[in-house]
Amino acid sequence: MSVTILRIAAGLYAAGAASYILFFARPRHVRASSTGFWLVGLAFLVHAVSIGFGCSEFGGADFFNLRGGFGMLGWVGAGAFLLLQRFYPIPSVGAFILPLVVIAVLPGLFGLGPDAPGVVPSVVRLPALKLHVSTAIGGVALFAIAFGVAVMYLLQEREVKGKHFGALFSRLPSLDALDKLNQRLVRTGFAVYSVALVTGALVAKNAWGSFWTWDPQQVASLVVWLLYGAMVQLRHVGVHGRRYALLTLAGFALVLTSMIAMGAVPNVTRHGGNFQ
Amino acid sequence: MKGIFLVGLSHHSASIAVREQVALEGEVLKAALAGLRSTQDVQEAMVISTCNRVEVLVLAESAEPARRFFLDRAPDADGHLYEFHGSQAVRHLFRVAASLDSMVVGEQQILGQVKEAYGLASSAATAGSFISRLCNRAFATAKRVRSETDVGRGASSVSQVAVELVEKIFGDLKGRSILLVGAGKMGALSAKALASLGADRVLVTNRSRERAVALADQTGGHARDWSELSKLLIEADVVIVSTGAPHFVITPEIAHATMKARRHRSACYIDLAVPRNVDPRCADLDSVFAYDMDDLQKVVHATRSARAEEAIRAEAIVEAEVMAFFAEREARAALPVLAALRRRAEEIALGEAERTLAQLGGKLDEKGRRSVEAMARAIVNKLLHGPTARLKEAASSGDSTLPGAAAELFGIDGDQPAKGEEPGRSSAAIVALSDKR
Repeated sequence: MSVTILRIAAGLYAAGAASYILFFARPRHVRASSTGFWLVGLAFLVHAVSIGFGCSEFGGADFFNLRGGFGMLGWVGAGAFLLLQRFYPIPSVGAFILPLVVIAVLPGLFGLGPDAPGVVPSVVRLPALKLHVSTAIGGVALFAIAFGVAVMYLLQEREVKGKHFGALFSRLPSLDALDKLNQRLVRTGFAVYSVALVTGALVAKNAWGSFWTWDPQQVASLVVWLLYGAMVQLRHVGVHGRRYALLTLAGFALVLTSMIAMGAVPNVTRHGGNFQ
Repeated sequence: MKGIFLVGLSHHSASIAVREQVALEGEVLKAALAGLRSTQDVQEAMVISTCNRVEVLVLAESAEPARRFFLDRAPDADGHLYEFHGSQAVRHLFRVAASLDSMVVGEQQILGQVKEAYGLASSAATAGSFISRLCNRAFATAKRVRSETDVGRGASSVSQVAVELVEKIFGDLKGRSILLVGAGKMGALSAKALASLGADRVLVTNRSRERAVALADQTGGHARDWSELSKLLIEADVVIVSTGAPHFVITPEIAHATMKARRHRSACYIDLAVPRNVDPRCADLDSVFAYDMDDLQKVVHATRSARAEEAIRAEAIVEAEVMAFFAEREARAALPVLAALRRRAEEIALGEAERTLAQLGGKLDEKGRRSVEAMARAIVNKLLHGPTARLKEAASSGDSTLPGAAAELFGIDGDQPAKGEEPGRSSAAIVALSDKR
């Protein structure tokens, strides 16, 4: 049931992405961007319903593996995007972010989850864990959007500097707007991610007996946190524009590789679903 | 029969020396309109007067009053005048409003100027129902052209290109400063255009202090000493360079030092001088965006050729709108026939119903009487439904033979005034007709 609903949500995300891409390709169709906004909003709600069903069907165990993690990332990312459009409406960003959301949701469409409701460890009941999971996913979602914005910045910079005043040049927002948006996303993402790190340590104390156990997931998260923290600091000494965008790309690449490595390599970490 | 005539001269046909003799503004123009209107056979009149064109549109027996408008003011304008009549005049007005006849095709000001001309003619009561309909159609045409083609897109002058570039780098210029180096004419123009993006400050510097002060007055900026240049470069986000110097004024070394002092905040150098004043190697530095005259000119050429292509599509829209305008006029011409036909039929039907009721005397109650009358009306409606639809259709597709034939067949004089018919109804019918298309 939850997978069927998720497929509907994925279809809506794809339609929303298509609308935003159409708007990007043909800016004269102003309605395409507002259509996209409503489609993504609807997809977000349907996705939420699917998550609810997933919890009752699989007892929530399906969200602790890589597939479920990506699904949640897609959901929170879509929500963050909707908020962003509400407060900083730059619709052309949609053409770059929503395909990422669709990709994040895709793995969930082909998995059916565990056969029986999994046994959820008692740790899950901890309030700190709830905060940990939601802030971790929220932080990564913001980094993902920053990644998309950084790609836009680099594309636009190539156009402006290379004197190609073509289609991309006229459709992409100004460098200044992209740079500022990127900075805001990184800063907010860093703050949210910091909360995830602290609550993660609290949960580790409860589940593993110590705040810090050199678990690979902990090490990777710390490196990610340090990198984004450095970016927040570097802003004050004049690092911005191209170099900032490149750092944003590097940061998200690190987030992604660590996420996939921790989820795909068996028993490398006790984090997530590997509670044995 | 009165017709529509347009007489005028524009940048295509006359030099500015001629145009300025006939260009009018404000109260003078109003007086001229009143003068036109008081001419014997002029029913409606409108004058479009901009720096690139002066055109007189009249609904009259001939183009003579419009021609006299020009010849009274400039006797030597005769050889420069063009004259259009009927559909040609309509087409010309639509093309002007859609900016297809402009010096820079696709520029956006002309539509506002035509609207202004229409507003003036309305307030002077020289624009009647014909010119109103004509102008509304012209505005609709211009709007269609603007939204359905790319004829107004892109930057069509060097200073517009500069503005567009700076916008793509900095967004708007709030809180930023512009520095103008040198006294070149293009530089001053571009600085002015850029200042409209909301820059906080415009700084001007030149080797000669007096020129700097004069330029500062002209661009609304502050004059600074040439010796301060390196300091000014650090302050400025956008630097426009157009000196007469035969060498580079901004070298990579200077740019490098400047960027260091600016903590690598983005800077844009626009070099409008030939020979160039900004070393092109400056663009290799991070966060430095440097452009020369060639770069900007290339964009201007690209825009112009793109617009020329789009203009072909725009012309097709204009053509369609001209046809639609005349079709609507024909449809209006068919309406009197329709109204007369219906009136005649209703008269007959109600007359017969009355006669029948009189013969029946008091045998029918009130309800029965009403039923008989309703039946008579229903027969008329059913009978006329088909002919009405076909007449409207024929009229709106520009076919005027069918309305004429109908008038003849039913023995109706279409031009006879519709007595007893409230004007509101016929205009509602016109709206319904034009909506159908």
